[in-house]
Amino acid sequence: MTTDHPIEALDAGLLDHAHDHAPQVSRELRPTTSYSLRVNGFERPVTDAWIGESLLYVLRERLGLAGAKDGCEQGECGACSVQVDGQLVAGCLVPAALAQDSEINTVEGLSAGGGASDVQQALAESGAVQCGYCVPGLAMAVHDLLQRNHRPTEVEARQALCGNLCRCTGYRGALAAVQSVADARAAQAGAADEAAAAEETAKAASAPAPEAAPAPVSEPVTEPAPAPVADPVDPVNDTAADLPVYTDGDAWTEHVPQPPAAPYGAPDGAGGYDSGVYDTTVLAPIRDVPAQPADGSTGFHPVQGHPGGQPYPETTPAHGTYPPAAAGYPDAAGYPQQNGYAPAPAYDGAGYDGPVYETPAAGTPLPGYGTAGYPQQSGHDGGTPAHGTPYVPTPPHGVPAGGTAPAGVPYGATPAHGIRLPEDDHAS
Amino acid sequence: MLPASLDEAVEALAAHPAAVPVAGATDLMEAVNAGRLRPAALVGLGRITELRGWRYEDGGTAVLGAGLTHARMDRPDFAALIPALADAARTAGPPQVRNVGTLGGNIATAAPAGDTLPVLAALEASVTLARAGATREVPVSHLLTGLDPLRPGELLTWVRVPLLHAPQVFLKATGRSGPARATASVALVLDPARRAVRCAVGAVAPVPLRPLEAEAWVAGCIDWDGSREIDPAATAAFGEYVAAACVPDGYGAEGAWEAVTEGPSAAAVRLRRTVAVLARRALGRALK
Repeated sequence: MTTDHPIEALDAGLLDHAHDHAPQVSRELRPTTSYSLRVNGFERPVTDAWIGESLLYVLRERLGLAGAKDGCEQGECGACSVQVDGQLVAGCLVPAALAQDSEINTVEGLSAGGGASDVQQALAESGAVQCGYCVPGLAMAVHDLLQRNHRPTEVEARQALCGNLCRCTGYRGALAAVQSVADARAAQAGAADEAAAAEETAKAASAPAPEAAPAPVSEPVTEPAPAPVADPVDPVNDTAADLPVYTDGDAWTEHVPQPPAAPYGAPDGAGGYDSGVYDTTVLAPIRDVPAQPADGSTGFHPVQGHPGGQPYPETTPAHGTYPPAAAGYPDAAGYPQQNGYAPAPAYDGAGYDGPVYETPAAGTPLPGYGTAGYPQQSGHDGGTPAHGTPYVPTPPHGVPAGGTAPAGVPYGATPAHGIRLPEDDHAS
Repeated sequence: MLPASLDEAVEALAAHPAAVPVAGATDLMEAVNAGRLRPAALVGLGRITELRGWRYEDGGTAVLGAGLTHARMDRPDFAALIPALADAARTAGPPQVRNVGTLGGNIATAAPAGDTLPVLAALEASVTLARAGATREVPVSHLLTGLDPLRPGELLTWVRVPLLHAPQVFLKATGRSGPARATASVALVLDPARRAVRCAVGAVAPVPLRPLEAEAWVAGCIDWDGSREIDPAATAAFGEYVAAACVPDGYGAEGAWEAVTEGPSAAAVRLRRTVAVLARRALGRALK
């Protein structure tokens, strides 16, 4: 194989780049140079390197400093961030040959003495690390930010970290780490009171990052409100804080403790509903749920004092408290039916007083429909056109219906999707 | 090679005409990493400190060094001089890129989405090109459009920008909220001395575009002697005017099938909407 032809020589040069034992190519096609880099305070000689090698490549492949990662080689991802002469740069975009005589700091230089620096420690503690590929770059970016700005605001931190992409966890952990390191360093700087400094450090370290620790259960679960009688947790004595981490849909408790309600079917003699005396100490008659009668009979008796036949407000059953035989009682979504507490019969089509959907008699016009009982073909009234109706496609956005603009409104004068902001009108 | 002065750099380029002058290397190294470029030699311009600042010339002109980084242009002292250029530099990229990317490199690369280019076009800046023993002055637009391109052995040294002491706006639409390439950008400067509005639209074409007719029209709508007020309807119409002038009907059309259909392509409609909003907001902010 001859390397006289320039294309072949170029291929050989590429091979040479990959394998050191490849044949030597002319120096015109692959000019090399030797220099020394000052990395983390040490002079590191680099011999016979192609001039097009990036600082990232030289650091990783020639000097064995694999901390900076090779993400995109375009300067988009920030995984290769290093400092050159105290400035944060993308290592993949710096020609290594032009970085000679510069002071280069890599992520390996952050951890002086083998231990993690405070930035790295905070990143780890705040949950900013998942796969870890972006973290060396993030650590350098946070380090660089805190060198220039000791108390960065949230916005400043976001702007400083905007060049570091993380595809795993997001950036809240990193932002929390910035704040915790800033707090810790401020506490150390103001070390006149050692105790206060230590306390604040501990506070900053223990403050859970928004994404780091699983948040304690603090949100009400959108489920049907259970009846206290059926709830395994006493709502008075137990609060949400006492609950363990939310595990099951049944382990539900109310955040505002509700007073205990006497069950309607409770055979408590004088207090029972059968006595006809309304117990005013029971606050929950309208919230409470008729329990299943103990004997398993199907009937629910009307509540005393409540007008029968009216819709009963907010009757939400506990899980599994209504008899399965009462087919019409609450549906799966927990909606109360409209027929009070009479036992709902199985639906036979006769006693149903909900919306009526009847097949119209032939020729009967329905409201909103055409005289033929079919939806009229008029564009957007939601009806399905009848068979054989010619299809009229939906006009594109901004095109007035009918194809002609109203008088005085030129085509395109409609602001696009309402993005007209008040600031644009400078109406002041 | 790392020359320490402008003269040395020019001599080095004269000695090695195939050498590539490198300032921030953010565009160059991307091409090198992707295998699109194999430089024969590099002339690093990072040590030329005289190009990293700016000076003033009488006649209300700032002479900016080509080695001025985007991070430097973002600083408040520079933003007080040429606010639109500072805005463009601020949005040009992540800090890692802005710390090294330079104004001269942005011009020399002449990427379609280069953020400082529409600002320089709107400011009607000119650049100084130096080669061994001679310099010449070329308007930025001539350089970008290839009317008067950079010759071998020439080095872009200075950028001459008029100081207008009037509101300037740079707005940019990107695909995401972080730093990203512009899908469209608009630079708009007011020139009260000449009673002119100058506007340039970037990233919609290989070079920044100047809607000259729209500029002349809207300049006549402004009450220059008073409070520089303008009818909001005129602002909106200016946006449409700029968009129609800068985005052709067949924008984004791949083949003949889309080209023969009547009306603007979907991509053109979308981009016109973006440009119209940017231009309208830019004018609104400049006249606020």
